[in-house]
Amino acid sequence: MTAIRYLRLALILLAALIQPSLLRAHEAAMGVLEFREVRPGAFIGRWTMEPTIGPERVDLRVPSHCLLRLPEMNCGQKGLVGPITITNLGSNMSVVLLKVIPITGEARSYTISTANPVVSILGAGAPTLETWLELAKTYVNYGIDHILLGADHLLFVLGLIWIVGGGWRLVKTITAFTIGHSASLAAAAFGLIGVPERPLNACIALSIAFVGVEIVKQQRGEIGITARYPWAVAFTFGLVHGIGFAGALAGLGLERRLLPAALLFFNVGVEIGQLAFVLLVLALIWAHRRLDAVVPRWGAALPAYAIGSVSMFWFFGRLARVFAAI
Amino acid sequence: MTSKFGHLWILAAALFVQTSAAEAHIVAARLGDFYAGALHPLTDLRDIVLWTATGVLAGALGAPKGRWLIPVFPLGLLVGLSLGRIFGAASTQLADATMMLALGMLLAAAARIPTFLLCAIAFAIAVMRGAANGADLGPDTDRLLFAAGLACAGYGAITLTMALTTAFKRTKSDSSASWRTIAVRALGGWIASIGLMMAGLALAS
Repeated sequence: MTAIRYLRLALILLAALIQPSLLRAHEAAMGVLEFREVRPGAFIGRWTMEPTIGPERVDLRVPSHCLLRLPEMNCGQKGLVGPITITNLGSNMSVVLLKVIPITGEARSYTISTANPVVSILGAGAPTLETWLELAKTYVNYGIDHILLGADHLLFVLGLIWIVGGGWRLVKTITAFTIGHSASLAAAAFGLIGVPERPLNACIALSIAFVGVEIVKQQRGEIGITARYPWAVAFTFGLVHGIGFAGALAGLGLERRLLPAALLFFNVGVEIGQLAFVLLVLALIWAHRRLDAVVPRWGAALPAYAIGSVSMFWFFGRLARVFAAI
Repeated sequence: MTSKFGHLWILAAALFVQTSAAEAHIVAARLGDFYAGALHPLTDLRDIVLWTATGVLAGALGAPKGRWLIPVFPLGLLVGLSLGRIFGAASTQLADATMMLALGMLLAAAARIPTFLLCAIAFAIAVMRGAANGADLGPDTDRLLFAAGLACAGYGAITLTMALTTAFKRTKSDSSASWRTIAVRALGGWIASIGLMMAGLALAS
């Protein structure tokens, strides 16, 4: 009964908060640099979103034939073609979106990230095969990074594995979670739905607490809603987590025509990271069974309470941020 | 042909040994200090050989003895990391090589050592490697996250290696089990050889 109450509360909170606005689940340290061509081969560069470390500390390297003295960059007759690198990407600045606006033709966007610190500017005629490959490499890596750094998402998946165990039930549950977060990720990325970042993060924390409660119920011999309909719970909360994933893409200001592909590759990256985590957890469960190394009876409830405590700590912290912003 | 393979091995080993600092920095920049701690041991051949050898030895001795290492090994890594921070990093090359030699010989001889001794050896190795892993941490590194990553990696690596070894060895003493025992003992011989070579290198340099 308590679990159903929690689920209702989460859904009510989510429904109350749905409104069109941008969102972010994990704060991404990023910057947006724009190069606008003012005459053939000559560009004016400016930071439209300054990185947190300050624009003067960004170690930007342009193709060797270009002379860069911000705000000016002169690439001569050859134009802006070749590799652009930022060598000091790190924990305080993980992503820079580079926009190149030529005199004629469409503006193009490139993402420089810690996973992919070099982008190749291809000049006229893009998008080409190279553009798509570069987009795939960048966003698959970005998706992997996002899920691996999202401790809340991983803890939720861990809770699901704990309740469901292995086998087909787990396959179905993880598939439902994937479908749920893919659907809401796409909807949020295309602006169909939008939830403010802070309440959303609080809801995500609450979803983990819900799973913690369900684990305790299962250990007491009660059959909770997750044990009965794991796919339904995974799908429902997958929707919430998916909107959180979309936040990572929302701040990058990608061109709309590149968004579907970026979204697809990002989702593939998220799935790769999630699958790697699930396989690792399953391998460790197998190893513990093989070694007959099980948690003693007195400590059986500890993991559930640990999951619940961490998630409630996150929940109250995130809730405080919601009220602080009002 | 053998000479070509020899060159390849030396080249591969040299590349493997050289990767440490650069790879660790890339991991930290991309995924933060938790993953830097978790993946840092992969950048040092000594960690890979010693952790694997410890897991195989514990697995070869059987689950009842080996399972004690699940808490002992990560705890040793944390103690080593703390001691390294307090007392500073010391060169452990010879000690690592000696441990490799000892573990390899125990495996090759299929020695039945008591649980207490197994735990003491594993703890000593973990302390040494924990200190070594913490030696080249930058001032910007979040030590708590790094330590958590290292401990998780130690737990995962030792648990999986032990389980894989017990699964490989099986428990029945039929003919298939005997060649498996010989394979594990042969692996011990290789580990002892690596330890001997590394000890020679440490003494020579």
